[in-house]
Amino acid sequence: MTQHITRRRFVQSTAAAATALGLSHWRLAEAQDDPLYQAAKKEGKLSLYWGSYEQKTAEEFRDAFKAKYPGIEVALLRQASQTVYNKLRLELQNNVAECDSLGTTNILHFIELKAAGALQPYVPQGADVLPSSLQKLDGDGMYHVGAVSLTSINFQPAKVKQPPASWKSLLDDEWAGKITIGSPTASGDVASWVVAMRAKYGDDFLRGLARQRPKIGQSNVDTVTDILSGERVVGAAAPFSYTLAQKSAGNPIDVVAPADDLILNLGVMGIPKNAPHPNAAKLYHNFLYSREASQILSKNFWPTLRSDVPWAEGRTLEKLKWYRNPPANLAAEVAEGIVKWKEIMR
Amino acid sequence: MTATAGVPQAVLSAAPGTAPGERLRQLHLSKVLVVGVVLVALLLLVLYPFGWVVYNSLHEDTTQAWSLSNYLNLFADKDLYLPMLNSVLLATAVGIVSVLLGVPAAWLVGRTDMPGRRTVRTLTLAAFVTPSFVGATAWILLGAPNSGWLNHAWRWVAGAEQPLFNIYSMAGTVFVSAIYTVPFTFTIVGSALDSMAVELEDAATTLGSGTWHTMSHVTLPLVMPAILAGFILSFIQGITLFGVPAFLLAPGGTQVVTTRLAELYQQFPPQLYLAAAYCMPLLLLTAALFLLRRRVLGRRRFTVISGKGRAGRTVPLKGWRWPAFAAAMFVPVTAILLPYTALLIVSLSKAWGRGPSLDNLTLDWYAKVLVGNVETRTAVINSFTYAIAGATLCVALGVVVAYLVERRSVKFTSLYASLATMPMVIPGIVLSVGFFAAFTRPPFKLYGTSWILIAAFCAAFLPIAFAQCSALLKGISPDLERVARSLGASEVHTFRAITAPLMRSGLVAAWLLVFIPIIRELSVAVFLITPKTNVMTTLIYNAKDGGDYEALCAMSVLLILSTLVLIAIAQLVGSRPRRSTLSTEARR
Repeated sequence: MTQHITRRRFVQSTAAAATALGLSHWRLAEAQDDPLYQAAKKEGKLSLYWGSYEQKTAEEFRDAFKAKYPGIEVALLRQASQTVYNKLRLELQNNVAECDSLGTTNILHFIELKAAGALQPYVPQGADVLPSSLQKLDGDGMYHVGAVSLTSINFQPAKVKQPPASWKSLLDDEWAGKITIGSPTASGDVASWVVAMRAKYGDDFLRGLARQRPKIGQSNVDTVTDILSGERVVGAAAPFSYTLAQKSAGNPIDVVAPADDLILNLGVMGIPKNAPHPNAAKLYHNFLYSREASQILSKNFWPTLRSDVPWAEGRTLEKLKWYRNPPANLAAEVAEGIVKWKEIMR
Repeated sequence: MTATAGVPQAVLSAAPGTAPGERLRQLHLSKVLVVGVVLVALLLLVLYPFGWVVYNSLHEDTTQAWSLSNYLNLFADKDLYLPMLNSVLLATAVGIVSVLLGVPAAWLVGRTDMPGRRTVRTLTLAAFVTPSFVGATAWILLGAPNSGWLNHAWRWVAGAEQPLFNIYSMAGTVFVSAIYTVPFTFTIVGSALDSMAVELEDAATTLGSGTWHTMSHVTLPLVMPAILAGFILSFIQGITLFGVPAFLLAPGGTQVVTTRLAELYQQFPPQLYLAAAYCMPLLLLTAALFLLRRRVLGRRRFTVISGKGRAGRTVPLKGWRWPAFAAAMFVPVTAILLPYTALLIVSLSKAWGRGPSLDNLTLDWYAKVLVGNVETRTAVINSFTYAIAGATLCVALGVVVAYLVERRSVKFTSLYASLATMPMVIPGIVLSVGFFAAFTRPPFKLYGTSWILIAAFCAAFLPIAFAQCSALLKGISPDLERVARSLGASEVHTFRAITAPLMRSGLVAAWLLVFIPIIRELSVAVFLITPKTNVMTTLIYNAKDGGDYEALCAMSVLLILSTLVLIAIAQLVGSRPRRSTLSTEARR
């Protein structure tokens, strides 16, 4: 009762609120006409297994989606990429249908699922607005880009006047004992980086890095921790977006885009063949390619998924120099990279 | 079958002088029922999921075919067997250190007039709730060689160039693991001391023995079963810990079993079956430890509660009261006060990298965590619900199994004992896969429900409940029960009326020792949760994983505060009225 009155008063009191309400009604009306939304609403639920994006961004997506498409209950399971993937694998082996949308940072997961016939094809609306280099990840439309992750060098600006300008310059004498890095055995992004470095410079790069006696943590996020605590001052294979987010929060940290390329790793998403709510999943994938979702990404310092929404601070994929490991033979490259890493770095 | 076959014999031997026919008829439908339920519970909760772990270990990951290759690999691959040796080294050290820290502290708290006994007890027990990755994170802040605050302070005070210590080392790992493992030895030995009759010590004193002599020749030997139980649990904890070695040992390039296991799950394609095989040598080793324990204890008796009354007398420390307090505060200071100060400072910062200062101060993280969103609240409620249900079921099962085993009421007691002990040695992540396989398929189909989590938690921590209850029962003389039995009480009734009340404070401690690890457990749940049945630690871990340190620290501080409150309540329930209950029960 009271709630009713407050709401009415609120609406009557300010013109701005009325406009906002009108706008959301209009949006709602637009959404109502969407047959996919109608079908999704009939399903009523959506179960997300996501490892791409940290908890905060994942939750903002979920909340925006719920606001835009009322009537669909969204359950988000955010765990590490390999964990959600292992979980889905176990579910498939045991004939459990629980997951509607899988998003992980490892394309190999999707190559394996596709080979097993466990994915269903769907090309999300807005796939044509993706940066051209990221379109048509899979010829059969079984999986698509869900996130773009960039690996860079980060550093403590108060303690480092001239940060290393390239991966190669990390091997200079002045950085001995000052570098922190994650481990390819624990982090997919670090594993991609190792593959890229071996492709560019061979195992000599790893040998040079080992001579620098870097502090080896687990996740690539640990580089930020070590820099903020003051344990080390330069991070190799460091997360680009997360470092920028920490910088904007007021922490003394910054990033360098190495002259010999940022390493780009794709987060991938797909819909399992046995998804209990496939329409809701399709609607969610469409939503991730919407302007709204890219604005959320931009706000959280992630690369956007649309070429018409600029990243935070005006960056775009076109303006940056980046390198992506070719997916052919990637599984073997990663395995070999890890073996070499263990051999050389330990 | 086994159970019912064991019953008549037990009854006949336990109640001599009564007509067997009469006894048998009364018999104890209730006992058959209890034994039956326990047996079924053990088979379902332990043997069945463990069967799946074994089944998995005998399959090849890539081909899914039957194979022994996983086992052959274990001893052929240096990358697999070296971590096992490191794990054994780490676990042994953790076991020894936590006995050395926990036993004296338990004695000081339980047996002397040291000041601040309740504070030491509460804080030591609370150390237990710290998830190991949180403890490791806090100790990185304190003890990292360049940036650690304690090392900063040392350089400032001593004017030294070199750090005081380096937490990224085997010694650092043992230290941090041990201070968070001490609650095992402290609580188990503490319970044994609590329920021990002082007249034995008094007798020694009367005969001219000094305090130290009495302690080493009377008190210590009497609590030996508890010390060994505490050591074994600490050893197992040292083997199964993941967070501390992952953050403190891996940077130096040293691998242990759990960090290797994580790699097997991380890599593509994952090697879940190899991971299952990887636990088996550890399981055998722990089994060997238990056999060793039985040989050490032999058939000696450790009765400390008898039918005669007891008084709660304490040893006066005189001038040593405050030095003793300082020593007993070692674990509370290193496991709670120092690390949680560090966590508190971070949690109150807008951006922790800027260091503590007034303009960097905020309560936002607490507001965010407390207000949270629907999912956070669900996860918190789930965690507490599962922990309460899991701990209650677990202790109920643990105490009955311990009773059957200790009083030899059934045949094949070692079978019961091994079943109740096995789960703890299996690292959580492997157990998680075993439970998934066991309870997802028909006829159970529990996946997605709360029951699969409660069952897994109950099984995972059954060894703690069992160990604690066995240690308690070893100390209670069967004479009291025999009296009741000879007066015609059934075994079940005797247990309810005599044994259980005598165990009361120990049972509350057992409940806490299970409740707390469930609250902080991450890996057992990892494959069993669904969005609806998510637990708090997933969110805490995500905060760590996403580098959201301020939120991580705020959650950890809130977690420890709520645990302290809970321990305080539990101590009111358990420990206060116990003494009077004990003496009246014992005198009845």
